[in-house]
Amino acid sequence: MRMVIPIKQILDPAGITVRRDKERIFINREEYIIDPGSKAALEAALRLKEERDQAETIAISLGPARTDDALREALAMGCDAAYLLSDPAFEEADLSVATLILAAAVRKLGGADLILVGRQSGDTGAGQIGPRLAEALGYAQVTDVYALAVENGAARTTRRWGKGYATVQVQLPAVVTVAPEAFPPRYPHGARIMNAYREWNVPVWGCADLNLEPSSLTPLLTFRGESFPPPLEPERFRGNPTTVAQEVITALTLHKLINPGGGSHGL
Amino acid sequence: MDFSFFGELLEEEREITPEVTEGYRNLWVAAEAADGTLPPSTLEAIGQAREIANQIGVYVWASLLGDGVEPLAQQLIAYGADRVLVADSPSLAEYQPEVYVKILADLVGQHRPEMLLMPATSLGNDLAPRLAQRLNTGLISHCLKLTLDMSERLLLGTCPALGGEVYHTFACPQARPQMATLEPGYFRIPSADPYRSGEVKRVDLDLGGVTGRLSWLEREASVELPPVPLSRAKIVVSAGRGMGDAEGFALVQRLAEVLGAALVGSRGAFDEGWIPEDRIVGVGGQFIAPDLYIACGLSGDIYHYFGVQSARCIVAINPDENAPIMKVAHMAVVGDARQVIPAMLNALGR
Repeated sequence: MRMVIPIKQILDPAGITVRRDKERIFINREEYIIDPGSKAALEAALRLKEERDQAETIAISLGPARTDDALREALAMGCDAAYLLSDPAFEEADLSVATLILAAAVRKLGGADLILVGRQSGDTGAGQIGPRLAEALGYAQVTDVYALAVENGAARTTRRWGKGYATVQVQLPAVVTVAPEAFPPRYPHGARIMNAYREWNVPVWGCADLNLEPSSLTPLLTFRGESFPPPLEPERFRGNPTTVAQEVITALTLHKLINPGGGSHGL
Repeated sequence: MDFSFFGELLEEEREITPEVTEGYRNLWVAAEAADGTLPPSTLEAIGQAREIANQIGVYVWASLLGDGVEPLAQQLIAYGADRVLVADSPSLAEYQPEVYVKILADLVGQHRPEMLLMPATSLGNDLAPRLAQRLNTGLISHCLKLTLDMSERLLLGTCPALGGEVYHTFACPQARPQMATLEPGYFRIPSADPYRSGEVKRVDLDLGGVTGRLSWLEREASVELPPVPLSRAKIVVSAGRGMGDAEGFALVQRLAEVLGAALVGSRGAFDEGWIPEDRIVGVGGQFIAPDLYIACGLSGDIYHYFGVQSARCIVAINPDENAPIMKVAHMAVVGDARQVIPAMLNALGR
C-alpha cells in the first residue's frame, strides 16, 4: 500500500503576536514548523504503516527551499521518502494551483492508494486541498476523520458529521483528511534525525520534472487585504443561570473559541 | 508629462477577460436538508444571498438535493429564494461526494450562476472544494462576511486566518461562478414570508454512470479522543474550591469533556484531592497559554493569574463580583458555577 502525505510548512504561531488593538502582526521569531494538521496526517499514515508489512509512506511538500527541513522532519518521524516541489513558478500558487502541482507529483510517483492530509492548516485554514486533490486525481474522499483503519482495499473511517460522528467506509484510492486532535504526532526518532540530514536525499521537483507549463499555473483567487477582529472587551454576564449560560456559549461561539455546531474549527 | 501610467491602467483593465465572466447571472445557494428540515446554516445562506442579489439586481436560485426533500422547496422560497431546483431521489438519501458534484456541476454548467454560496457545514466543507475543482473556479471558504465590489461585480469573502486572529479578504476575478462557503452562525436568518412566490422545478437526474464510493455504516458513532497535553490544549477548564464538593467538581469534569478541553485547577482543588499536582496552574505550577480558559469557582489570586495571563480569552464563573479573577476576565459570569455549568452543558446540547 502506498500512502502519500502532502505536508505544509507554516510559521510557528508561538513566535507570532497579533495585536488586534494596533491592527498589526508582530513576528517575534521567524521559525517554521510542520503544520499541526499535516503532522496528524503523518501520524495517521505511520500508524497504518506499522500495522502491515508492505506499506510505504511518501511525504511531499510544496514550498520554497526552507521546506526541505519539514520534509526531513517527516523522514525522521518515519516516512520512507520525501520530495520537495519547488520552482520559482510555484511561488504565487493559490489552492487551485497547489492542487495541480500536488496532483502532478502524485501522478509522477505512480499514484497512491491513500492520500492523507490535515483537515485544515493552522495558518490559512481553508481546508480545501483534500477534496480538491481527490477531484483532480479522481479519487474518493472522506474529510474530518477521527479514526482510520484499512482492510481489503477499503478504508473504514469515523468522521465528524454535524454534531456527531459517523462511520463511513470508502473504496481506495482515496483522499482522507484527518482531525489533528485525534492523531497526536509522535516525536522524531533520534537516530533518524541524524540520518535525515546525513544519509537521505530529498529530491527537488520543479515544473520540468512534473510536466507542468508555468503559464498554466495562474492563481484564481486574489488577496484583497487583511483586517482584524475587534479586541475582546471585558464583558459581564448577570442574571439567571440559564440565560447567562446561553449568552456565554453564544459569545464564545461567535469569537470562534468553541465549536458546538460541529463542522470546522482551526487548530 | 509622463502618461505611461495610462498604459498600465488600461493593461489592468484588460486583465479581466470578459469571455470568462460573460453569460453568468444570478446567485445560487446549494441548500442542505437535514432530518426533513432546513438547518439554520442554509437559511443564513439564503438570507445573505437575498441581500447580495438585491444589490446587483439578480434572482436567487437554490438547489436542493436529497431523498424526500421536495416539500422543503416552498420553505426556501419563503425565506428568499426565487427558484428552487429540486433533485429528489432515493439514490440521494446518503451523501456521496462524486454524485453531488456531478449533479451540481451539471446544473451550474446549464444555468451559469454568477455566484454560488454554500453553508460551511460538514457536508459543505466536504463538497464545496471538490465542486470548485471540478468547475475550475476559486472558492473562498469559511467566510464570516461577504461584501461586493460593485465596480467589477466581485464577491469579496472575508475568512479567518491564524486561528481567527486575523481576517483575510479574497476575490475571484477570473473564473465563474464565484464560490464561497459561509460559516454557520455569522449571518442573519431572514424572516419567512409564507406568501412569497417562486418556482419549484424538478431536475431530471442523469448521473451518467457516476456512483458513490462511500458506504455509510453508522450514523451515531462515537470517538474516544486521546488526552490533550496541557501545553498544547486550545481550551482549558479549571476548577477551584468554589465548586464545593466532588459532585461540583464532576460538573467541571463534564464541561471539560464536552468541550474537548484539558482539566486543571487551583492549589485549592489540589488540596481537595480533585486534581493531581502537575495540574495546578499558577506560580509554582503550570504556566499555560490556551485560546480559552474557563475558571469555575475560583477566585484567582495574582499567583494563579500569572499562570494563565497569556490566555487569549479568560472566562470566569464566580458568585463574587469582586473576586480578583473577575477583574481580569474577558467574560465575567456572575453566578454560582454549580448552576451555570449545567445550564452551559444544556446550551451545548449535552
